[in-house]
Amino acid sequence: MKKTKLGEFEELALLTVIVLQEKAYGVEIKKELETRLNQTLSVGSIQSALKRMEQKGFLTSEFGEATNKRGGKRKRIYSATSYAHKVLNEIKEIREALWKSIPQPKFSLLGI
Amino acid sequence: MSKKKKNMPPHWALKFLRLFIKREYIEEIEVDLEETYHINRQESSTVRANWRYVIEVFKLLRPNLIKSLAWNYSISPAGMYQSHFKTAVRGLKKNFGFSAINIFGLSLSIAVGILMILLISERYSFDDFHTQKDRIYKVTTNRVQGTKGEEVQLSTASYYIGNQLKEQVPGIDEVVFMKADRLSADFITERKAISINGFYASASFFDVFSFDLLQGNPQTALSEPNSVVLTRSSARKLFGDADPIGQVLNVEENGDFKSVVIAGVVADPPMNSHMRFDVLVSLSTVVKPFSETANDINSPDNTNDVSVYLLQNEQAKTEDIIGAMANLMGDYNKTIEHPIRHSLQPMETFVTSNTYANRMGPMFSERKIKIMLGLMLIILISACFNYTNLSMARALKRSKEVGIRKVMGASRSQVFTQFIMEALVLAFLALVVGLALFYIIRPQFLDLPNPAAMGHDMFSLKINYIHIVYFIGFTFIVGLLAGFQPAFLLSKYKALNAFQDASKFTLFSKGVNLRQVLTGFQFAISIGLIVFAVLVFKQYKFSLDYDLGYSTESIVNIPIEGDYINLLEAEIAKLPEVLETSKSSWVLGVGGDGMSVGMVMSKDNPKPTPFLVNQVDGSYLRMHELSFLAGSGFTRSLDEGQTQNHVIINEKGLQTLGVDSAADAIGKTILHNGNSLQIQGVVEDFISIALTKEIFESFAFVQANEATPYKSLNVKISSGNLQSSLAKLEVAYCKHDAIHPFEAHFYDDQIAKVYEREKTTFTIVSFLAFLAICISTLGLLGMAVYTLESRKKEISIRKVLGARLQNLLLLLSHEFLIIVLVSSAIAIPVVLYIVDRMVLNDFIHRIEIKVSDSLSGLVIMLSIGLLTIGWQIRAVFVKNPTDALKNQ
Repeated sequence: MKKTKLGEFEELALLTVIVLQEKAYGVEIKKELETRLNQTLSVGSIQSALKRMEQKGFLTSEFGEATNKRGGKRKRIYSATSYAHKVLNEIKEIREALWKSIPQPKFSLLGI
Repeated sequence: MSKKKKNMPPHWALKFLRLFIKREYIEEIEVDLEETYHINRQESSTVRANWRYVIEVFKLLRPNLIKSLAWNYSISPAGMYQSHFKTAVRGLKKNFGFSAINIFGLSLSIAVGILMILLISERYSFDDFHTQKDRIYKVTTNRVQGTKGEEVQLSTASYYIGNQLKEQVPGIDEVVFMKADRLSADFITERKAISINGFYASASFFDVFSFDLLQGNPQTALSEPNSVVLTRSSARKLFGDADPIGQVLNVEENGDFKSVVIAGVVADPPMNSHMRFDVLVSLSTVVKPFSETANDINSPDNTNDVSVYLLQNEQAKTEDIIGAMANLMGDYNKTIEHPIRHSLQPMETFVTSNTYANRMGPMFSERKIKIMLGLMLIILISACFNYTNLSMARALKRSKEVGIRKVMGASRSQVFTQFIMEALVLAFLALVVGLALFYIIRPQFLDLPNPAAMGHDMFSLKINYIHIVYFIGFTFIVGLLAGFQPAFLLSKYKALNAFQDASKFTLFSKGVNLRQVLTGFQFAISIGLIVFAVLVFKQYKFSLDYDLGYSTESIVNIPIEGDYINLLEAEIAKLPEVLETSKSSWVLGVGGDGMSVGMVMSKDNPKPTPFLVNQVDGSYLRMHELSFLAGSGFTRSLDEGQTQNHVIINEKGLQTLGVDSAADAIGKTILHNGNSLQIQGVVEDFISIALTKEIFESFAFVQANEATPYKSLNVKISSGNLQSSLAKLEVAYCKHDAIHPFEAHFYDDQIAKVYEREKTTFTIVSFLAFLAICISTLGLLGMAVYTLESRKKEISIRKVLGARLQNLLLLLSHEFLIIVLVSSAIAIPVVLYIVDRMVLNDFIHRIEIKVSDSLSGLVIMLSIGLLTIGWQIRAVFVKNPTDALKNQ
């Protein structure tokens, strides 16, 4: 966890990129996250997270083909690196381990 | 365009976005935003979508998305500038003709700029050597004075207010009194005598002013009566290298004191001092201490006698002191009709303010500086326009270069810098030429008569290190100013457009274009300045040739100081060259020390009315050929002590006395100076002081019964060898007066000197007009060369088809003709208005402005312009047309 420094929002965005596969570009990621989180997000927050993760090595990107829809301009398709998969798995394992370590009665207190 | 705009997000937000987002991200983010925008627009309204878009843009201001503030390029920019410099120099060499025109035009205006920079910086350095400059003030006076009931502003104040300030008002460290009248006297040692002038100053003089006292005690040098401080140069004149301290000098021609002791030697006041003197005499020599003096001197009403300087305490406020002075004057002001108000004038405005009467020292008013600055700016802008016009005219040629640079990846700002660099290189070359030109005009400028300087040199126009910094800054601005427009336009080219067919592509929109407006401006300035110069010159000539009402021909006036005038006259009269002599107390149309105003009363008009009075001898009126309406001139000169009983007045004087006809006036008695005088003659009106001034229209000639009132010996000499006649006069003069230099002047020259101000204005304006014409002609020449170069083939074909030179001239110069006509239509009325208001209004007798004068500028500009264009057309026309047509 220490080296990776994957923030909560970044983690969600990263997962979305993986989910969307080859459709993963800015606006699509935004839409997906918006529906899942049920809140409006700004282009800035998504872009900022994507660029940050790219720099950290979680994402790679390449220009897709130009489409008429985007006025002849190309979109940038993001994909997660294997390093990202590894880190996501690590986080997931740590979380699961933690969940498991919670004493049983507490679960009932939490309403589960 | 508008349809497209409707579906697009706000353009300014997009521009803003491009400004701050990192280059590598911009494409992606832009598209994301746009897509989001379209989604929003479909889901809600366009307004909401626009609004959202703007918010999104602002939300993109995130640290990891925005451009870094540090330099974006990894390589040093020095290389780029070096390359720009190199291309600029190559470009200048390649287009040598254009470069030369531009450099010469700019250097003319830079030379004027250098002059202005030096002039202004010297003016603002006035009195800078006073270490306490910012604390030195002069007490000024506002009061109603004179017969007309006008409020005047005086730079003098009263002894009363000065003493009160010293004793009662806190916040004043020192007060210095200086008599407003300059002292002018002959200082005599056993071996030498010189005529010097200076001031009477009170003891605290050296505590306030930072004149460098070389010898003597600054505290006491001016405290004792009859003690003086000489300047080094006058001390050297009197004593050579001997120690002057403690020496006793005799003083002549001065009623107040006869001998003085030298208590100190001061360095000569520098050129930038508002007071200049050869000597300072202690004020106590002529004014008794406050308590002992008579009441009228100490009265708060006595506001014309003394300048009061004060050194304000560092903590004190000027307003408080002004308030305190109002309180001090409060009681006295209740007793008089018009209150006397005192105020303070800070030292930095001593030279610049032109509103005060009784001022001492030279003057260079704010208004004058503004006018000169304005004229300089006009010349400067005119020269910059040349560069702009010629560069833009050649823009087509440069467009391919810009295109290639852009294709190679140059940004707009880089292309912009390149063109600015070219202009800067050119401007700095012009600076070098301009400096040379400046050294040519400098002596001429310093020689211009400057009546406001009160007989002193005000300016040295020497270049210091600091000025070089100013020059470089100034040249930089000139370069930017000249290069901005072409750089802006050329860097705007899109790479693609640059390679398109050049003929399809126009730099300017149709109709009136920028270049025409700029050229029009230049012509308007040139035409305006020509008309201005012509009118001022005509008024100057008019004033010189104006019929004064008396003869000045071959008359030499010799100023006389002393009582030997009769002896000298008798001696001079024997010379064969001398036709006639006369004596007067001052010179008509010129003035002089003896000029006086006297109150005259008569039985018909018992109210005293002011008459300008000249004391003359028996032959004066005859020699000067004044024409009589009635009566006759003085028959003979009065002997010593004989009573005056006759007077001669002028026509206006007759009217003020209330007498209708000249014949009736003869024999009537008037009262002047306690004498009753009989009117012996009436002369026609004549110009008594100058065409500019008409203060007292009534005039009286009286006779003097002793020698001293005569200050001027008028000698009419035969027009043979004037130089030898003058030399003989000088020999005779020097026998009687060894102290004062012989200063004889021809009457005509003296009259001319009265209108020096107009002459200076004329010289400056005509010089500027000349510059403006040079610059606009250069610009025109450049444009003509360029036009002909690009239309060479057309002209050759026209020639082949039988066009004649006149046809071509008309074809190629009709644009020029239109511009000249339009600009003169604008310039001439403006200049006529300005001349009328600012120059001619000073004259009572003024010229009529004729149509031919107004059109002079237009005619000159037209002929110069047509000659320039014609010359260029001819150069192309005389060549064999096949030469131009065969190379394809």
